[in-house]
Parts: sequence; C-alpha cells; structure tokens
Amino acid sequence: MQPIRAILFDPVGCLAEFPADPFLEMAARLFARKKKPARSASRAYWHLLNLMEAADDLESIESLELEAATAATVYEDVIPALAELRSMNVNLLIATSLSHPAVARFLEKAGAARFFSAVWTRTNSGGIKTVPVAAALRTVDPRHAIYLTDTAEGLATAFTAGISPVLMMNDPDEAKRLAVKGPAGGIVSLHELPDFIRLVAARA
Amino acid sequence: MKKVSIYRPTSTGEAIQILSQHGNEAAVYAGGTDLLVRLKNRLQQAPTYLVDIKKINDLHYIKEGADGSVRIGTATRLAELAGSDLLKKKYPMLVEAVHMISSPELRNASTLGGDILQEVWCQYLRGGYSCWRNGGHLCYGAIGDNSYYHSAMGGRLCYAVYPGDAATALIPYDARVKLATPTGVRELSLEQLVPGDMLVDGRIQSHVVRHNEILTEVILPRPKENLRASFEKLRPRGVWDFAMASLGMTIEVRDNTIEDSRVVFGGIAGKPLREHAVEAFLRGKPLTPDLPNLAVTVALANAAPLKYNATKIDMAKGLLASAITKFQAA
Repeated sequence: MQPIRAILFDPVGCLAEFPADPFLEMAARLFARKKKPARSASRAYWHLLNLMEAADDLESIESLELEAATAATVYEDVIPALAELRSMNVNLLIATSLSHPAVARFLEKAGAARFFSAVWTRTNSGGIKTVPVAAALRTVDPRHAIYLTDTAEGLATAFTAGISPVLMMNDPDEAKRLAVKGPAGGIVSLHELPDFIRLVAARA
Repeated sequence: MKKVSIYRPTSTGEAIQILSQHGNEAAVYAGGTDLLVRLKNRLQQAPTYLVDIKKINDLHYIKEGADGSVRIGTATRLAELAGSDLLKKKYPMLVEAVHMISSPELRNASTLGGDILQEVWCQYLRGGYSCWRNGGHLCYGAIGDNSYYHSAMGGRLCYAVYPGDAATALIPYDARVKLATPTGVRELSLEQLVPGDMLVDGRIQSHVVRHNEILTEVILPRPKENLRASFEKLRPRGVWDFAMASLGMTIEVRDNTIEDSRVVFGGIAGKPLREHAVEAFLRGKPLTPDLPNLAVTVALANAAPLKYNATKIDMAKGLLASAITKFQAA
C-alpha cells in the first residue's frame, strides 16, 4: 500500500450509526419490497441502493433520507479522529449515494463539515454507488487514497472505482465474512485511522 | 525454515554496529525460543540476519549490589533465575512467576531478555496471516477467535496480548532496565520499556526497543520492608501455557494496613497492565475480610472485551480477589 494522502468516507456505517428503518421504509414504499429487519443500517442502505439503480424517481425518497440523517448518531471517536487526520494534512472527502440535503443535515448536526474538503453526493455527482466515488477521485490520486466501507457492496464499489477499500470492522462476524473479499486493510475503530496512515507511510 | 546468516559478536558495541548495518532485517538471537519459531513458520517479519549475543559474557549474570539491589544480565536463562537462591530470598514472587513460564526444557534455553521482548503469540500471526505485525493491514484477532491470546482492554491496530510473565512479575518490584544504544546506555523503568502496541521503526511491537538497541540489564531495587508479593496465573493448559489472565502484585503493610501497592495484570492487554485505580483504592485500607470484594469493584473499569474474551476480565478480577485473600492469610 502506498502512503495515504486522502480518505473517502460514506457517512453511513463509517461516521455514524444511522437508523435502518428509514432505508427499509424507502425500499418498502417505493419498490414494493417487504420490510424485513436488517442486520445494520449499512446493509439496509446498500440494499436500497441496489433497488435505486433501476429507479427513475429518486427525489421522492429525500424526506426519508433527511429523517435518517437527523436520527443518525455520530460514533464517539469520529470528531477526534477527523481532527487528528486533518492535522496530519490528510485530505478528507465525503463520497456517498445519499442526497446532498441529507449529507448537509448530517454534517451540520455532527459538527463535522469543517473537516471535509469536498462533499460528493448523488445530487452533485449525478448518480449512486461508484459515481460519487469516481467524482471524488477526479481531485485525488487513487493510488494514495482509501475508501472506508463496512459492506460487500462498498468493497465492490471501491474496486470498480479503482480505489483501495479499507474495512470498518464494526461487526466482527460481518467483518470476518468480508475480510476474505480482499480489502486493503481494516480498522476496528476510527481512532485507529491516524496510526494506520502513519504505519503505512513508515513502511513505504 | 527461512535461510539466515548468523553473526557472533563478542561485545555489545559490535552487536549494535551489526544491527545498525542491517536495520529491520536483523534481530538479536539469544535463547531462540521465540525467534526460531518465527523463522520456522516463515513469517514475513522474521529477520534474515541473526546477531547471536550468547558469546557476549557481560550479559550473563545475577549479582547483588552493595545497596541491596540485584542486577540481572538479560542473557541469563530463565532456569537460572528459577534456581537462584538470591532471587528466592529477595524476590520470591519473581521466581514463582518464572517457574510458571513454559516448560523446564524451554526455560533452559529462554533468556530473561527474550521473555520480556518476545513477539506476541496470536495464532493468526504465528499461523502466517498477513496481519499488522506480519506486513499486512488488518488484525484478524479482532474479528476471529479472540478467546485466548487477545486483548480485553482495547487495542491499537493489533489486538494481541503481551505474552511475557517476567515483566508482569518484575514491574511490581519497580524494576528498571538498561538499553545499550548507538549513542550510549539508556535507563528506563520496565513499565516504560513495554508500553504495548508501539509503532517503532515501521513496526507494531509491544516494547520501545529500536532495531539497533539491545536490552542489557534488569535492575531490581532492594525490596522494601514489610513487602508481601503474589503471582497468580490462569492458563488454558495447567501444565504450561501463556496466561489467559495473570496478576503480579505487591503490597507494603504496616499494622495490618496497606501503605502502598503495585497491581499488574498480564494476559489481558497489549502490555503488562498496571491498574492504578486499584492501587489508589488500596492505599490506607486495612486488610479486612471484605477488602477483596471491594477491590474487585474498582478494577478494570475501562475493559473493552472482544466478542469471545469477556471472561478474561472476570478471571483477572478473580485473581485480584485471590491475591488479597492470600495476603490476609500471610
């Protein structure tokens, strides 16, 4: 792995615990999918994204996304970790399939907007999944960037976009399953990310 | 086994010169009970150049100073520590702990320095997984089977526990160490030597010793009067194994009241874990029958067990209660 100069975050599952219910509600209401309990909000979110790929009208789900962004609980180690990363001159970007208003609401509530140099959403990138990641990569060198994710779909998105995925190992069972899919690395908690970057740089 | 070249220096200075020349590719070779296993298992982090320090005479001794302290050369074998009458008399808890390290055969080869600086025994690292300590970027112990050899007190990228017993028994005696470095000798406390999960020379390791430094001596200050000491260890196999939880503890008692104590847990964290909260709690307390249960309530409040190892915290608390009960009976 080459020294890391930029990190792409999706707020869902990497920065905060989002409620799964609004994503399940969107899948049920818009795509007539039976509402089933999800193991995590991340999985409910990516399941919804899979359905959205085939949909025409994405605007109608915005209010439910805003509801999810409002109810999201930021992980306690996020703000100190982001501050340390910025002090190390690491470029931080948001790359997500959420709408711009939902991300803006989330960042404002979390007090985290100041840490990010760019915010790429489905609104300003014009698509979901790989599209916002590819948009973010127009301004950073993918060889020196990582994309944090905690789902199989997130890993696949990173591989398609040509960026190294790093696994957020929030759920050990899920992480064990995903570790065999070839992530470039993994962290248990965001507070480990500065050390991750230091160690990669020291080994390079 | 990985092919290696062996140097046999006759002085510490010569050894440091060789280590400096090869960087992370070289390592100190003494007893070999850790290093040779890593070579045999072809771990990526295993060195190519071994610097055999067994021919360096001034690293092999146990001697008493005029001030009542005892100095131990780090190439001294564990079996020699276990059989030392001087140590039995002055630091019986250390001898008790050394008797519980591995097997008699291995104690005949292992050195004190090697036990203190040994690599972790996480089954994923030793099994050749590409983890943080073996060139990779992920801790498999954090997500796999972490019931025995992983931390229940959090981690810093790596979640393996520090495996050494000698340090757990030496810290309660306020032991200090000497490091020979390219710029001279550095002295620090044993606690400072093994702070756990350090990023040193591009590696994660439990200790602060750089690639071109050699741990040369352990210094035990003269034991305080009225000192009582206890070492306890729980392990998966009763005959010999690494600790699932261990405890090295000393108390200074006057008129049945604890004046000072040292409480150091092993086998539950990435370092020998000194539990200052319990030490503060015990200060000034009489050795009453309810003390073990009260001490347990303040112990390890910041535990962060992984999926399968919460029981280590219960074990550690049980050892604390057991040690205090033993002190009452003494």
